[in-house]
Amino acid sequence: MKDPYEILGVARTASADELQKAYRKLAKKLHPDLNPGNAEAEEKFKEIAGAYDLVGDAEKRKRFDNGEIDAAGAERPQQKYYRDYASSEQNHPYADNSGFTDFMDSEDGFAELLRRSARAQANRRGHDLEYRLPIEFIESIAGANKRLTLPDGTTLDVAIPPGITEGQVLRLRGKGAPGSGKGGFGDALIEVVIRLDHSFTRQGDDIYLELPVTLTEAVLGARIKVPTPTGAVTMAVPKGSNTGTMLRLRGKGAPNQTGGHGDQLVKLKVMLPKEPNPELETFVSGWEGGKTYNPREELVP
Amino acid sequence: MKLSKSEFLSLSGMEHNTLNAWIEEEWLLPSGSSVDLTFSEIDIARAQLIRDLQADFGVNDEGVGVILHLVDQLYGMRSTLLELRHAVRVTSE
Repeated sequence: MKDPYEILGVARTASADELQKAYRKLAKKLHPDLNPGNAEAEEKFKEIAGAYDLVGDAEKRKRFDNGEIDAAGAERPQQKYYRDYASSEQNHPYADNSGFTDFMDSEDGFAELLRRSARAQANRRGHDLEYRLPIEFIESIAGANKRLTLPDGTTLDVAIPPGITEGQVLRLRGKGAPGSGKGGFGDALIEVVIRLDHSFTRQGDDIYLELPVTLTEAVLGARIKVPTPTGAVTMAVPKGSNTGTMLRLRGKGAPNQTGGHGDQLVKLKVMLPKEPNPELETFVSGWEGGKTYNPREELVP
Repeated sequence: MKLSKSEFLSLSGMEHNTLNAWIEEEWLLPSGSSVDLTFSEIDIARAQLIRDLQADFGVNDEGVGVILHLVDQLYGMRSTLLELRHAVRVTSE
């Protein structure tokens, strides 16, 4: 890197004030955002900014003058400038085409071209507006009609299709921001957030539920009511069921792409009575089978 | 890339109050609703330009507004010129 004083065009003896003046004068001329078509300006601006970062700071300047640090590494890191976005993005909110409307009034071919281009820009579609909509797990499976209240007080009715998944985005055509001219409205994009459920979880199209059953139901079998996101159904618990026994309710899962449904998988959890029960104690103490069975057999000691 | 207000503040290193003032002045035009503003990279770059204008060039608030207005027109004209260049090319082919 060249000598920072040389870059800024000041003497080594220049005061801090003179340095700042020199820097500002150059920066105003060379700032990349104020020189959108000038590639050289960005290079030069980086050079003067780097030089000023060094000698514009009293402490760093002293060390530089004493030869403790050199100008190498004083360049500013790569930075994205406003012009990089304003020139490349077609439809950014800061675009302003009012600068030459007067040119369009004449009758020549140039004015016609300008008018055509302005029409293309004038009839721009409005922006899409993004919202987040939290729903319950059950609503995500069974579907629901929700009403979203927007910050401006208006409401938006959103039909949640059955089987929607976390993060899915619903597009409501024409419910976004107004466009200009004949551009029409943008869309409302609604990201669905599914609240965690205490009982149900979902994996793919299948729904999992842990279901407590009594000892009696597990040992003797029973027909019991099981909740599903679309309402309770009756399920047969086979005789001799156990904690961990997995039962499948076919077609009670989430709707899938092919028009069918996943399954609901019910994992049983055998619950002893909440209060100690003398009858049960008497039975178990006289029950030999309960003493020989070791459920921890396969555990490493 | 979409950024929330807090992400924007940490990425740009701006103060909350300053950001609110700039939005109030319409120097920055984030999208979304007033309670749930979203920013993009162009807003970060524009904030940097405003900071350069204020800190390095000594431009005061009135001056920033004037400069941004002119800058927006300059970029608007450039994009129209680009479209024109394209139109002329298509016509002459």
